[in-house]
Amino acid sequence: MRLFSWWLRRALSAVLTLFLVSVLIFAASRWMPGGFAEVVLGPFASPEQKAEVAAKYGLDESVFVQYWLWLGTALTGDFGISMISGEPVTTEFGLRLPVTAQLALFGVAAAVLIGVPLGVLTAVRAGGRRGGAALGRLVSGLGVSVPEFVLGSIVVFLFSRYALGLTVGGYVPFGQDPAGNLQSMVLPAAVLSVFVIAVAARTTRDAVLNVLVEPYITASIARGESPGFIVARHVLRNASIPVITVLSTITAYLLGGAVIIEYLFNLPGIGTYLVQAVGRRDYAVVQAGVLLAAVVFIVLNMLTDAAAGVLDPRFGAAAKGRKR
Amino acid sequence: MRIPVVLCAAATAAVLVGCSAAPLDPTTATSDVPGYLAVADESVTAGGTLDLQMTVDNGAATGLDPQLADVATSWQLMSLVYETLVTVGPDFSIEPALAESWENPSPTEYVFHLREGVTFSNGRPMTADDVVGSLERLLAGEGVWKSQIGPVEKVSTVDEHTVSVTLSEPYAPLLAALANVPAAVLPMAEIEDGSLDVTAQMLGTGPYVVESHRQDVSWKFTRNDGYWAEDKPSADTVNVVIAGQEQARMAALQNGSADLVMLGNVDAPQLLNGARGTSVGTQATTDFYYLMLNSNAQGGKFDDPRVRQAINIALDRQAMADSALGGLGRPTGVTPAGLPGACDPARVPSAEADLDRAKQLLKEAGAENLTFGLAAYSTAPAPAVAQVIQQNLRRIGVEVTIEQLDEGSWSGKVYGEVPATFDAALSWFAGYADPGMVGKWWNPEQAGFNVGFMEPNPELNEAIDKAIATPEGPERETALQQLCDAVDTDAQMIPLVTRPALIGYRSDALSPTLYETEGYGNVFRGIADFRLLSK
Amino acid sequence: MTWWRRADWLTRSGLACLAVLVLVSVVGTVFGIGGDPDAMVGPRLAPPGVDYPLGTDELGRSMLPRLFEGIGTTLLLSTLAVLVTAVLATLLGVAAGYRGGWLGEVVLRLVEVLYSFPTIVLAILVAAVVGPGRTATMCSIVLITIPLMTRVVRAAAVTVSERDYVTSAVISGARWPRILVRHLLPSLSGTIAVQGTYALSVGILVEGGLSFLGFGVQPPQSSLGALIQQGSTYLLAAPWLVVAPGIVLVVAILAINVFGDGLRDGLEPREARSLV
Repeated sequence: MRLFSWWLRRALSAVLTLFLVSVLIFAASRWMPGGFAEVVLGPFASPEQKAEVAAKYGLDESVFVQYWLWLGTALTGDFGISMISGEPVTTEFGLRLPVTAQLALFGVAAAVLIGVPLGVLTAVRAGGRRGGAALGRLVSGLGVSVPEFVLGSIVVFLFSRYALGLTVGGYVPFGQDPAGNLQSMVLPAAVLSVFVIAVAARTTRDAVLNVLVEPYITASIARGESPGFIVARHVLRNASIPVITVLSTITAYLLGGAVIIEYLFNLPGIGTYLVQAVGRRDYAVVQAGVLLAAVVFIVLNMLTDAAAGVLDPRFGAAAKGRKR
Repeated sequence: MRIPVVLCAAATAAVLVGCSAAPLDPTTATSDVPGYLAVADESVTAGGTLDLQMTVDNGAATGLDPQLADVATSWQLMSLVYETLVTVGPDFSIEPALAESWENPSPTEYVFHLREGVTFSNGRPMTADDVVGSLERLLAGEGVWKSQIGPVEKVSTVDEHTVSVTLSEPYAPLLAALANVPAAVLPMAEIEDGSLDVTAQMLGTGPYVVESHRQDVSWKFTRNDGYWAEDKPSADTVNVVIAGQEQARMAALQNGSADLVMLGNVDAPQLLNGARGTSVGTQATTDFYYLMLNSNAQGGKFDDPRVRQAINIALDRQAMADSALGGLGRPTGVTPAGLPGACDPARVPSAEADLDRAKQLLKEAGAENLTFGLAAYSTAPAPAVAQVIQQNLRRIGVEVTIEQLDEGSWSGKVYGEVPATFDAALSWFAGYADPGMVGKWWNPEQAGFNVGFMEPNPELNEAIDKAIATPEGPERETALQQLCDAVDTDAQMIPLVTRPALIGYRSDALSPTLYETEGYGNVFRGIADFRLLSK
Repeated sequence: MTWWRRADWLTRSGLACLAVLVLVSVVGTVFGIGGDPDAMVGPRLAPPGVDYPLGTDELGRSMLPRLFEGIGTTLLLSTLAVLVTAVLATLLGVAAGYRGGWLGEVVLRLVEVLYSFPTIVLAILVAAVVGPGRTATMCSIVLITIPLMTRVVRAAAVTVSERDYVTSAVISGARWPRILVRHLLPSLSGTIAVQGTYALSVGILVEGGLSFLGFGVQPPQSSLGALIQQGSTYLLAAPWLVVAPGIVLVVAILAINVFGDGLRDGLEPREARSLV
């Protein structure tokens, strides 16, 4: 019952957050200098044309009325029409979501399959030789220190000259041509993975190191349990909460659109779409996109908390009893 | 202390050694045929799929209505589907298109004889009614091209294949204006009976039909099998990918996933040096950059013509062409350099004055310590041009702060308010195909978009009207030079340098037809002739 | 500063690298080594040589002074932004963690709202609203780094406020500003310093990303991100444009990260143990 009321509070605060996000993004998009009419109709449009377009999209109403109308339709799942393409915003996002989702999937897979084991490995080998520990830090530090736009630019250039069977740009949907799709997604996914793997490895390493100093590990070692058993049995479970948290942050970050990667590799995903929409003042798209990202973020957060509660009963209790 | 620098230098040297070993091959397109960068090899078998990449899509809320299209990228895409009565040749002569021939019985009367056997892609034959209806629709509409078509009084059907156009006064650029996509022949019967929404669908007489389009992502065109020109178009399918990022387009060209790409970087020929099978065409255009000095700017910064003239004098157009445009641009007056009959930019008043004169003018106007903001697009090479302007003006003690803006912010700042609140802005115009045409935009009452920052100047307006009314001949040359001088002295919108178009293509996969100089920014002008070599 | 004596070679070299970068930039800029960074003095795209030690860019400007200026711009903008973040995050975090109540709720909610925005989209929105440039870059860095730091500071403040010496101070009637300054801040300073270094590396990344997308500092001012953005198209034809700023950028972020790690290990000591 107490758990239920905690979740209820969570859900209510999530709704409140989403509401605030929607207000903020609405305000920001109307606050940007330059209107949709100037951008889209170009310099030669007459005032009448501009007024006509403004009326068509309800931009001639006051901001408050606009927000109210938008909120009303958004609650029914209708996020309006992209003023650039004339298509419903939901259709537009539907076309772009697979790209972003696929990239995110690759990224998260790399983090889980490579980053986490790497973190565990470097952590259990960390003690003893001080030099070795420093080297591990240096290598994992390097991964988070090479910005995507630096690594991405280099990869784009190398592979545009020496293709090796991979393509830069030329995205095709997976359903249409699986091989071609993978060819075009390998490079962006690889560039993305470097950063994501490094972040996952660093967090895992820290978490594992923190667990390794716990008394029960000392006890296990004293009992003569094998290192493999100790890692599998005690360490992973107890180090999992920060790892899951960072994985969910990575997922949210990737689903929000890896803008720079999408830009460099010309992938028609959500990130570049949003940036373009900001540039073109395609308000409905900006609003829906940011809101979508916020929903993803909040849902992932709640899932993370749920997972943490399952893995460590103390967490739920602490969350409830937290001093506020 | 200097370790990082030493390290950097060492790494740089290492990379340099690695790069200089790359094999070089000539990558700049040239052709023996005068007026062309490349001519398609007609001995190659027709057919195949042509993969193109462009920087931006047709992005107007006005949709696909060619009469409302006002930017070159829209014209370029629409020209695959829509055709005009006449077209522009490589030397800017007017050539037949949907009109096979024409007569000009008096300075105010034109008679066009339409080509027979032309059908729209739905199979219906094109008639004189379509031509008359299209022009009447254009004249009654809101499109920008309405004012370029000139003082058309009446368009009428003579017979099924003959159309006459009557002007209220002589207008030299009429044929050139009819050669651009907004003057295309639309299927008027379908538009009038409501079966075609011209803003959402394209239905024309051109070589291709639209199969699919995803806004800002891609286009797919397929061959119009009923096209009037025999054995054209050559390629069966045309895919156009919209790729905003220069690196992505260069990569697509190098790895062969695109046959032809539009490039923005003026150093593209050097950058692609050593990439096997690629070629870069540097097409001169009549498009040019111009600097707007807002005479309504706060604090009256530019309401004194002497201040504007001083700035004009201090601008070094050759430096812009050499540094910012890598030697590919040309200094220009308001009549775009490269068009026959264009004035000599070295002969306008500002070019004949020196920096001392500029400083003196500033002093007389009491504006010695002038500072102002310059709003420029963030698309290359505009920021480079802005930085050369900044350096130029430093020579007369004027400080410029550059604001590099995205499209939305730039448009909002420059066109959003009347009177406008910006100080100065940098932009470019398509230069069109007749030297008198673009000059019209210097009359804010006709252009409209610049009423917020440009005061009408009666003398200038007179020069504009004279330039477009005077027919071809020595008299027109004088009129055009006077137009250049008037624009130069007015200095509210200052013409700078022409803007090159760079086209990269696979010389091992594609044999294109490209003009050396293009007036309407239409790289795809010869697309019906493009031959694919390896597919 | 006892942790410094225990710091390993990596932590020390991280700090040393940063010091060298700052020094190089300050000395280079103040003494004008290599000339005016904005002047178009040489041929375009000249390779490194005697006249132009790091070559020239696409407008014929010497890269050496542009690199000095770029390092300075990037480090200064990020540092200033992170200082703002640190002050705001401390105030908000302590308010939420120590005072709690409705104030804490409001702070948490605001933080979560900011957190929900996709990073680069948030930065671009800021650039669109306030206009691209230094202000937008700093605002973006602050808005992006503040949520995490506020949360961490809040969590630490919750723990600290439950400690005996704080409780006794409250009981003895000390007012909260005094408790804040005398008791909370000293205990929180370690956490703030560690988070600050991480925020700094994020700040540099954000500056670079914004410049890369064309919303960063305005030309002709250079920053590491802007230099890389301009140079990235010339990677094969003129690699010197991107190699030097690229290496410096990576070194700077790496140095900050390893220094941050060392700082944290020193301030929150933890016995390392090897299982193998």
